[in-house]
Amino acid sequence: MDMNEGLEPDVTIRLGAAAGDGIQSGGEMVTRILSRSGLYISAYNGNQSVIRGGLVWFHVHAARWRVASLGFGTDFLIPLTQLCYDEQFRGVNDGGCVIYDPSAVKAHDLPDGVRGIQVPLSEVALKHDKRPIMRNTVAVGALAAALGVDFKVVSDAIVDQFGKKNVEVTQSNITAAAEGYQHVQNSVGVVRKLEYDYTIRRPFMHANNAFALGAVAAGCRFYAAYPMSPASPIVHWMAANAKKLGITVFLGEDEISVINSTIGASFAGARAMCGTSGGGFALMQEAIGQAAMTETPIVVVDVMRAGPSTGLPTKTSQGDLNMMLGIAHDDFPRVVLAPRTPQEAYYTAGRAFNIAERFQVPVIVLLDFAIADGGFASLDKLDFNVPIERGKILLEADPALTNGVWFKRFALTPDHVSPRSLPGTPGMMFVAKTDEHDGFGHDLSDVLAGLSEPVKLREKMHEKRMKKMESIAKEAALPELFGPDNADLTILTWGSSSNPVREALRPLWRDGLKVNSLEFTDLFPFDSEEVYKTLRSCNSVLDVEANYTAQFARLLRRETGFEVAHHFLKYNGEPIYPSEVVHAVRQALAKEAPVIV
Amino acid sequence: MYNPKAFESDVRADWCPGCGDFGVLASLKDALTSLKLEPHNVVIVSGIGCSSNLPGYIRTYGFHGLHGRPVPVAIGIKNANPRLTVLATAGDGDEYGIGFNHVVHAARRNDDVKLIVMDNEIYGLTTGQLSPTSKLGQKTKTTPDGSIIYPLRPLPTLMGAGATFVARGFSGDPKHLSYIIQEAIKHRGFALVDVISPCVTWHNIFDEVKKRVYRLEDRGHRPASYAEALSAVEDESGIPIGIFYRTEDKPTFQEMLATNNGGQWSVDSVRGLTPEQAEEAMRQYY
Repeated sequence: MDMNEGLEPDVTIRLGAAAGDGIQSGGEMVTRILSRSGLYISAYNGNQSVIRGGLVWFHVHAARWRVASLGFGTDFLIPLTQLCYDEQFRGVNDGGCVIYDPSAVKAHDLPDGVRGIQVPLSEVALKHDKRPIMRNTVAVGALAAALGVDFKVVSDAIVDQFGKKNVEVTQSNITAAAEGYQHVQNSVGVVRKLEYDYTIRRPFMHANNAFALGAVAAGCRFYAAYPMSPASPIVHWMAANAKKLGITVFLGEDEISVINSTIGASFAGARAMCGTSGGGFALMQEAIGQAAMTETPIVVVDVMRAGPSTGLPTKTSQGDLNMMLGIAHDDFPRVVLAPRTPQEAYYTAGRAFNIAERFQVPVIVLLDFAIADGGFASLDKLDFNVPIERGKILLEADPALTNGVWFKRFALTPDHVSPRSLPGTPGMMFVAKTDEHDGFGHDLSDVLAGLSEPVKLREKMHEKRMKKMESIAKEAALPELFGPDNADLTILTWGSSSNPVREALRPLWRDGLKVNSLEFTDLFPFDSEEVYKTLRSCNSVLDVEANYTAQFARLLRRETGFEVAHHFLKYNGEPIYPSEVVHAVRQALAKEAPVIV
Repeated sequence: MYNPKAFESDVRADWCPGCGDFGVLASLKDALTSLKLEPHNVVIVSGIGCSSNLPGYIRTYGFHGLHGRPVPVAIGIKNANPRLTVLATAGDGDEYGIGFNHVVHAARRNDDVKLIVMDNEIYGLTTGQLSPTSKLGQKTKTTPDGSIIYPLRPLPTLMGAGATFVARGFSGDPKHLSYIIQEAIKHRGFALVDVISPCVTWHNIFDEVKKRVYRLEDRGHRPASYAEALSAVEDESGIPIGIFYRTEDKPTFQEMLATNNGGQWSVDSVRGLTPEQAEEAMRQYY
């Protein structure tokens, strides 16, 4: 690892306005332009649960090195509304700029060292439309000039973004952008130029789309959902690709229907998945126990948002982990995975299906708004050769496994996984049963309950299901240790919070601090002995996660007995910023009290 | 050679002697055999309650699921593999109480699954509480002074929801019930077969039903007419059984789905993406 990596200049940009002003579209344009200029990007959509009004913002961080999170502060602020300026101008870095239209925004109290660049955004936009809807495009043009990006990249990005609309719209957007570009070129010129390489083509996605793509690449052709932010982009992706890729998309009447139909589809032999956010998952819980009891493999993705209850529908959180550890009643096997980035989300989908089918268990994948609906990131070239491991599926009849009437679907085996037949296979009938059952799927619960042999068999069946967890734990990915060995402080984190943690490390290293990160993706189960060894070897540990009760640190304590010394816990719905992690690290190193935002 | 004994199970039903559900089980076996279906191509999904123990008593693929949820499980199976004959068999608590929402939506979508509800107007397995179809004034453990709630009328409600096949049978007339189930299975789309299946232990209405029941066919009922069906279902002079309403004017949900997924079914396509598909899927992300 190159400790100096990251010292090359980067750039942070924030556009903001009311919902309906085209901030998402403008933000995506900026992201696309910088990505096509050979930069790695990481973007965040600070939207609200409204269709019009309020304050929405879009933040882009870009550099020639692999950016992971939102960077530090804002180099270029583009406020289209006064509210945006008032809320955000204090975040502009020394040496940064505010690009604004003086007819709409009063740039009061502009700090010394921050430059105001005035561009008549509305005036230009109104030349092209009765409403000043193209202000965002003019601003993007202005920004591109300040960054010294070739205008060709800007116009190509506009063509691709508006390609589906009519030629006139595309053309007027290009002209509007060009006027913004020229205005800045003529008035202030290039403000900050990074090294660009227009030949590099690197995709960028958010984790919802990457996960959907990964699932289909792993053979999933059944997806069920009920609309819920921030998980809806997954069902949008599936629906948009349904015909081309042969995906059955089922929009159920509620999440209970969604999860039960997913279990039905898997029982029939499909690789079946459903998705939701926390509130929807809460409704699904009973059926997840059903999947475990009937040993029907399923993948469920929970795209977390801030709760409890309705909470903050478009804001981020890592608060659903405890729910996953305690889904429904009594003990049953379940697996919880939390990819850190969109790229990892793509590969996690395939892993989730393989674990689900090989062990015949429910697998929960935790994404969150920060990387899913909210966050775009650059991806490397994806490997579409995804291994599909279906486990012990019998594609043909095997009479040796039957009693002549029924197939012994739930036979006790040394590895606790039983061969599985699919409906349509002759002679291999069985009943998948939510009651406790014998090997054939017949009741142990009613007329046999409490009799001595059925009591023993119940014990064995319960152990059979639970012992699958031991094999899964042995296979679980251990946390990634990033940074120098023997650090003075190790930052413990999981899922998307790994990104701001990573980005915080470089300035800490630059200041000579010996800090590393321990990033978990396989949250449950895991090899607790191995994890304990790693934790015990740390000098001091700071836990960083986006919930109030340090849910993951408490899970580690439960499983290993290890007590984390310091916490940085954020639960206000906003993303964790690298600067906050830097601050928490300094405080922890100064042996101060746990920090809570 | 077709084996008419193929549906026989080696598991004995644990219902009370005289339970209406024995009649339903016999009619169901007779119907599947008469249609010469193969046990491996039939899936029976049930919920929770006495009647929902049925899947193990008949030799087909079975899914004995959660209370109220047989219909969505059945729909998931049918949507993944429409070649299977998918039945849901459950009680009035499952289908008219906790899970009624799913039934209404299955009716409106015209999902090609057949729902057989063993309606005994009581929660039997939990020892006799008021059910959604219990009569006004009915005395149960939760209504010692008699029910103060009007019963749900599932047949006209589901006709209103768009059900394309609505019928009622009686466990005391198994031959007629077998005929109704056969017609339901042959029907293209969602079928509701409400079966009066008396609970001999908690709410024994067998004799009363037997006395008042009549077959719709005997009165020249025409199931193609929605208006006639509505008026037949309202008849309180007796208890009509038979097919109230039947139409195949509406496409099934699975037929409609085939226009969305290109007729490619999930169970047949557990495979990755071709390089061309992958490239196409990635194009918009650059």
